[in-house]
Amino acid sequence: MLLKSVNYVRPESVTEALDILSSNEGAAPLAGGQSLTNVLKHRVASVDLLVDISALGELRTITRAGDGSLEVGACVTYDEIDHSPDVRAGHAILARESSHIEDQQIRNRGTIGGNCCLSDPTNNLPPLLVALDATMNIRAVGGTRHVAAEDFFKGYFLTALEPGELLVSITIPPIPVGGGAGYVSLSVATDSKTIVRAAARVRVDGVIEEVRVVLARVASVPIRHHAMEEALRGVAPTAELVRAAAELIGSDVEPIADGHGSSDYRRKMARVVARRAVLAAIEEGGRK
Amino acid sequence: MSATSGSKAATRERVESWSGQSIPRKEDGRLVQGEGSFIDDLGLHGQGYAWFVRSPYAHARIVSVDTSAAVALEGVYAVLTGEEAREMCVVPFFQIAPGDGARIEEWPLAVDKVRYQGDAVAVVLADSRDTARDAAELVEVEYEPLAVVVDGVEAVEHAAPVLHEKAGTNVAWHGVYDYGDIDFALEHADHVVKIDRLHFHRFSSTPLECNGAVVDWDKGSGVIDVKSNIQMPMFAAMVIGPSLGVAINKFSFSSRDIGGAFGNKIGFYPQIAALALLSKKAGRPAKWTEYRTEHMLSSTHGNERTFLDIEVPVMADGTILGVKARAVDDVGAYLHYEPLGAVIWSQVLTGCYKFKNVKVDFTSALTNKCPVAPNRGYSRMQQLWMLERVIDIVAHELDFDPVALRKLNFVQPEDYPYQTPNGCVYDSGNLPLSLDMALELADVETWRRRQSEMGTGTGKRIGIGIGSTLDSGTNNFGQARIVNPDLPFSGNGEAAFAKLDLYGEVNINVGTTPQGQGHETTSAQVAADILNMSPNDVTVTIGFDQAHNATVGFSGTYASQFAVTGLGAVMGATAKLRDEILEVGAFALQAPKDDLELRDGACLVKGDPSRSIPFIGIANLIYTNNAMLPSELSSRIDLNCRYVYIPPFEVPDVERKMGNLTLTYASQIHVCVVEVDEETGVVEILSYVAVDDCGKRINPQIVEGQVHGAVGLGIAAALYEAFEYDEDGQLQEPSFYEYHVGTAMDIPDIRTGNIESPSPFTPNGAKGMGEGGGAAVHTICSALQDALGKDGAIVFDSHNTWERVYQLLQSSQGNEPRGVRVISREGGAA
Repeated sequence: MLLKSVNYVRPESVTEALDILSSNEGAAPLAGGQSLTNVLKHRVASVDLLVDISALGELRTITRAGDGSLEVGACVTYDEIDHSPDVRAGHAILARESSHIEDQQIRNRGTIGGNCCLSDPTNNLPPLLVALDATMNIRAVGGTRHVAAEDFFKGYFLTALEPGELLVSITIPPIPVGGGAGYVSLSVATDSKTIVRAAARVRVDGVIEEVRVVLARVASVPIRHHAMEEALRGVAPTAELVRAAAELIGSDVEPIADGHGSSDYRRKMARVVARRAVLAAIEEGGRK
Repeated sequence: MSATSGSKAATRERVESWSGQSIPRKEDGRLVQGEGSFIDDLGLHGQGYAWFVRSPYAHARIVSVDTSAAVALEGVYAVLTGEEAREMCVVPFFQIAPGDGARIEEWPLAVDKVRYQGDAVAVVLADSRDTARDAAELVEVEYEPLAVVVDGVEAVEHAAPVLHEKAGTNVAWHGVYDYGDIDFALEHADHVVKIDRLHFHRFSSTPLECNGAVVDWDKGSGVIDVKSNIQMPMFAAMVIGPSLGVAINKFSFSSRDIGGAFGNKIGFYPQIAALALLSKKAGRPAKWTEYRTEHMLSSTHGNERTFLDIEVPVMADGTILGVKARAVDDVGAYLHYEPLGAVIWSQVLTGCYKFKNVKVDFTSALTNKCPVAPNRGYSRMQQLWMLERVIDIVAHELDFDPVALRKLNFVQPEDYPYQTPNGCVYDSGNLPLSLDMALELADVETWRRRQSEMGTGTGKRIGIGIGSTLDSGTNNFGQARIVNPDLPFSGNGEAAFAKLDLYGEVNINVGTTPQGQGHETTSAQVAADILNMSPNDVTVTIGFDQAHNATVGFSGTYASQFAVTGLGAVMGATAKLRDEILEVGAFALQAPKDDLELRDGACLVKGDPSRSIPFIGIANLIYTNNAMLPSELSSRIDLNCRYVYIPPFEVPDVERKMGNLTLTYASQIHVCVVEVDEETGVVEILSYVAVDDCGKRINPQIVEGQVHGAVGLGIAAALYEAFEYDEDGQLQEPSFYEYHVGTAMDIPDIRTGNIESPSPFTPNGAKGMGEGGGAAVHTICSALQDALGKDGAIVFDSHNTWERVYQLLQSSQGNEPRGVRVISREGGAA
């Protein structure tokens, strides 16, 4: 490996980890290391002390509560999410999308917490968690706070985490009766970099009662498209109306451009994936 | 030799001929168990680790280089700058180009100027790779940025910044290839199809193993030991020897296992020269293992080619009379193996087709981009792609069936050996039969039905594509003279040794640099046939080694030739060995040589197996018991037989650009079916078929593996992979994060078929193969064209991202200029 030399510590508990993180300015938590290690190899960020939290049992549990809500520890790997009966039972979409992240080696190591805390706009889980109205449970030496996923992602590689804070788990509310979720990516190739993607959650009771539509890769963070949501609320869940609502995605989004797609193409495709994600969510809700 | 144990039962049976059998590869046991010896596995005592300091600018003047902080870092052995390297050299690297291009000065490291992002300005040697990298960051280089040119056409046709002031131009080479009478054909044809521009994009094969070398300039002997994965070592020696002031016999190049090369590993001789000088300066071996991003920035890319003003005369019945075009090849910032690409394409001047009139105005253009060098299908696939686009566009515009149009214009089975307008001789083949087989394997009839049933409103379209292509193999290096008449090159060749060792072991040495093509296996197969024994009992030494002397000037593995040159040499050497064994056997058994035969490692009298002598006995008489022999025999026979296979070539006619440029022409016909999502442009491959005809197949499974690999690379190139630069000359895809290589999940199941049309020109009927002529690139583009439908847009680029496909679908509905026109003469009916 071509890392600069760096100190490494493996705390025994979250409390100890928080102590170390709060008392060392150049410290960074290391979970699965699938992104951080690359960042260090490319020498684009410098870390003096790696605090390895990957083996902390407290961060590695998945719990389904009586109300159907799901709490996933920050250091649970994609592969564990994919194979968890609790996740599959109530939040199948989270299991399904975790099973498509890069390759098996990465899925064996990469964690849901790492996926969120990196806040890379190409990451798979942030838009889904925003759509599912998840809550990020954050601890510091002084106590615990809860931040809505929607408010957690602040920018490229930037989150609501303050120095010394650690994301410990993520709580996802149950998907209600008549509700469903959808997730559609337009990617360069199979399980590869995404060009644009959308995640949606709906609840239908004759008409669309609740809806959240989240777009990713059109901005530095996943964004809810409120105009599209507004247009869908209270209307019949038909393909025509969903299409019309998706057409509202316009110059209000200004996606990036790269070799895989121009800004204009991404905007047009955002309409397609948003429509498809909402339709998939409606269909899933109808199946229940 | 570590053959897989499972293979033994299968291969112990007596067979008529080992050639033609898919015996398991001898090298696989080693390779799949992690026991291969790749470049990073090798090392020398006392070695340091090298790290290159590379330019972040695409074009800049080097104002100053300060190495003091780097040198002061603990663990640093030496830092070599471009200026120092120049002082240690006698002359710059020799240039293949004539005229202006010959005045290009390239040194082991950049001097005065950098000319592309990644150009090396210094190299550090330290006690670890990490220290070397840290030290490289401490080398302070002051740059003065210069204007940049990243487009080949712009580089030569407009007032663009000049890369090499001594050349005074960005035109590295220019020439006109003119055969028949294209202007007459254009004047008299029923139709002329004009295409403004076709663009073949820049990509590479990105081998699993990047470049690397361990170089030791031994002070005592003056010998430069180069352990590397360079795939054409003798070419490297030829280029850098005079520059370093070193005789060829002071180089000791060797290779072991190589993790893929695809031609990409021909061009990194400047790095080897820099490492040699670094080793000399530091007084210790220098080991360098290239980093992936370093590979993508500064190793090599494939040729990017723009075809302009294409004109195609076509008769009413669909007979194509010729092609006229201008071609501008973007070869990057330096000429590595280039401008040979400016002639190599003409091996397939007319592709699979019979037309006689061709005029191509060809320019090699220098740009501020990574230098190009051979990449699987080097320089030919660009031409073949253009021709396949021409065929499909002609069919599209004039409403011909693409299958019928191909069949009408194909070289026909009865035409072989077929001479092309520029004197190339197509040895054998059956293109119509190959096409029929491919169409049938793909079940095109059913797909055509589904295509017409699909109709509008489904949001999906089906497209069926054909890629007809040639894999020309075994270069006649005389074609280099067409680029530069002063070059003293012609012909080709490869050397091999066959040896019977002390205890009767059979050993083969060959001067090639295998990179996964199974040379150990196929060499053993052909040798086993000649010695009438099992290939399990034939050892083939791994890799290339100058010290073995089984090398000639053209040794290496490149340009689809091993089955001809490599196996030709192995067969020749083994036949000599067989003859020597029989001579010694005749003495030992006191029987006439003609009455003897070889079987399973023994020499015996035909019909009387009680009179036999095992190979150990034969070897004993030569090596350790030679007083038993008459001196007439012992002075003449040493059981160590060298043979150089020389293909039958003549020096081309440089003036007329005529000659037999390659010995063999394998053909590949691919058919694929794609489904295009109209809303997004996403392409899904529903069916893929490849029919290969590479003459006699020595090991069909190895051939099939190569076909699969070529298909995968082609599909990925057509849909995913591209090296693109922004206007400042910054590479947009410098890592696998941005550059998506096709994976097993992207590449569909491939159905294969084969025809064997033996080559009449080769020792074994085989033809070189493995490059696949870029067939999959042509085929995907052809399928997209079909999906766009009548009146649809033209597929003008070899790289089609989802967005580009989407745009093609959109422009099919509009009235935008389509970049193609048809001019029909009166009376010519379309």
